[in-house]
Amino acid sequence: MTSSEIAGILLTWTPFLAGGFVWNILISLVAMAIGTALGAVLARLRLSRRRSFVHASLAATELTRNVPTFVFLFYLAFLVPAEFEIAGRIHAFPAWLKAALALSVAVIGFVSDNLFVAWRHWRNHEHVAALLFVPSWTMYLVIIVMASSTASVIGVSEIVSRCNVVIAAVGGDETMLWVYAYAIGYFLLFCFPVNWAMGRVKNHLRARVGTRAKCQDGERGADLETDRRDPP
Amino acid sequence: MSGNPVFRIVCILVLTTVLSGREALADRLDVIQKRGTLIVGVKSDYPPFGMLDADGRLTGFEADLAAALANRLGFDLRLIAVTSTNRLQKLEEGAVDVVIATLGDTPQRRQIATLIEPSYYASGAAVVAPPQARLSSWADLRGKKVCATQGAYFNRPMTERFLLDLQIFNGTRDTRLALRDGRCVAWLYDDTGIVGLLSDPEWASYQAPLPSMMVSPWAIAIAASERGLRLERAVSDIVADWHRSGWLIATERHWGIKPSQFLADMHELWSRARPDGTPVCVRLADGGWPAECRNKLLLTSTDVGGLHRVGLLVRERIGLDLTILYDAYDRNLFLSGIGMTLRLMAGSIIGSLLLGCLGALVAESGGPWLGGLVRLTAALGRMTPPLLLIYLVFFGLGHIVVSRFGWTFDGSVIAILCLSVYTGCAIVFALLEACAILKDRESGFSLGWRTLPRALRLASAAVVASLVNAVKATGMASAIAVPELISASTAIIAEQGNAAVMMNVLLIVYFLLVMGVVQLFGYFERRLFPHDVL
Repeated sequence: MTSSEIAGILLTWTPFLAGGFVWNILISLVAMAIGTALGAVLARLRLSRRRSFVHASLAATELTRNVPTFVFLFYLAFLVPAEFEIAGRIHAFPAWLKAALALSVAVIGFVSDNLFVAWRHWRNHEHVAALLFVPSWTMYLVIIVMASSTASVIGVSEIVSRCNVVIAAVGGDETMLWVYAYAIGYFLLFCFPVNWAMGRVKNHLRARVGTRAKCQDGERGADLETDRRDPP
Repeated sequence: MSGNPVFRIVCILVLTTVLSGREALADRLDVIQKRGTLIVGVKSDYPPFGMLDADGRLTGFEADLAAALANRLGFDLRLIAVTSTNRLQKLEEGAVDVVIATLGDTPQRRQIATLIEPSYYASGAAVVAPPQARLSSWADLRGKKVCATQGAYFNRPMTERFLLDLQIFNGTRDTRLALRDGRCVAWLYDDTGIVGLLSDPEWASYQAPLPSMMVSPWAIAIAASERGLRLERAVSDIVADWHRSGWLIATERHWGIKPSQFLADMHELWSRARPDGTPVCVRLADGGWPAECRNKLLLTSTDVGGLHRVGLLVRERIGLDLTILYDAYDRNLFLSGIGMTLRLMAGSIIGSLLLGCLGALVAESGGPWLGGLVRLTAALGRMTPPLLLIYLVFFGLGHIVVSRFGWTFDGSVIAILCLSVYTGCAIVFALLEACAILKDRESGFSLGWRTLPRALRLASAAVVASLVNAVKATGMASAIAVPELISASTAIIAEQGNAAVMMNVLLIVYFLLVMGVVQLFGYFERRLFPHDVL
């Protein structure tokens, strides 16, 4: 297969694959929304004066850290019915929502840890330090977008699933390599600029805080699952 | 009512009639002997199992079985066409002696007829797919649109076990058209029905690429009243001999049916011998077959002993089907899954650390070109979803390597490699950042083999977090069919249909494994870096 043929195939299927990537972003945003809401509750509880609330919140945060999202994805796919009935009406529970829920578990832990720190800064009137949460959160969205590719294993029609559809439709053994590489390009194209811009914002904020950040702070939230140190 | 003498008398009369009637009717074998002819009911509308030939005579796989049965018993044969709806009724009436008509063995049917063990054939759910479909396992159909025909017993369980997006049609004709028009990627159908379908020239290019699931054994049936009598024993012995000799496999081949796994397994089972040379499947003292030679799905806790009995009792009483405890096959599958997952975890940890440290060393001391290249690669590696990387290497590169050089790679090695690359890239960045801080503190600092431990110590929290992520991501190997925990669990669900039990077990086991790894890291961190990091 010549390179122009491959380019032709990729071009033909671009709208289909790009549509899949939109699903990746949508799933990730929903996961971030659910995870941030629940994580904020945990972070708030950790600031509580009542020891029992703090302990309960820490235990819940620890739990979300140890549940592998990939396994949880299967758990939801097999155990949550695709349809359920409320008051006589059938409601669908689509696979993409299950994927978003599975991913949100990781977000809960991340938000619980990072928002807790930010909230404390805010209370101490260190507003700029508290704002560091915003670039961290956005960089975490990037990680979730990458992780959303796992939704393909439960059949969500996102970009990786659509790659497999394209490969099945086009055939040919060499196409596989190029279609997957092309899909990786989408992730790079999305993740690089966002990460770069947020890195700039972070450095700017840190410069204003005036302290050289510790090594670990830079890594906080730099991976799918949360940093497991207790916050300082 | 109990005081009513007329009612009592009627009851006694009815009972005596029934009992004496049973007594007077000798067992069926006597009747057949007097007649000299064995009457067998077979199907006429289910090619190639039971059909009519050009002369209107009944023929097919099951007709052959009927002929062989009559021959072995020493009788003439008369075939009668029966249908799915009247086959058991004809048996009960005595219009036929034996029914061999694609009858699935179920506990309900055992109430109304005597079903012969061992079963002579089995059918299950399979798919027909267009020629270009790439289907290598049932997991490939997860979330895909699959056509099915209303009313098949396997529609619902197959949807639950393989997460199919089932499109249900009213009749086989509608389903055929839907598949032809590309409204679904495959058609879920009886594997025995598919045999007939694919013999149609119009469908010749279609394929049935997947093994049959939810296999339901077919049994020869005789009247309910014959249970434990001579006819049951005679027919049962003959079917056992068919399995031992491989005659059923030969007959299947004769009719051009795709070789069924069931017959191969049964042939192996019925010809298996113990170390001392005695066959495994011989009649017990009570006249029955040993539990291991019987259909596992139809056993109850009264049929077996030991752990198996406990497991079945739990299932009957509470509804929890813990096959990984009592079923040796499932148990081994699950244990080897744990073993594979542990290997993946260990491999990913070691690989990530190696790649991360080497990458950081080269990035720091490899000069502007090589160092820059490593930094760029690490940045790219961090932004590549690991699952896509696994697909790219396993399918994309793997295929090219196989076709050019003939080398094949183990899926687990590729999964470890890809996870190590992804995590290694994150570790490179953590180490480089630690380096920057160390350089800030001491002007002469440079990263090398001797100073690596100090950088690792400073970056330990980030490195450990990345490694734990790698451990949690090992399940991704299941996407390329590495037989680890998730693969083992979904395989067990596919066979047993116990999704709730298996998914909870899976989640708990994985949770404990991750917790164990975290504890282990904590232990090493305390041992290696006994003082506070900063």
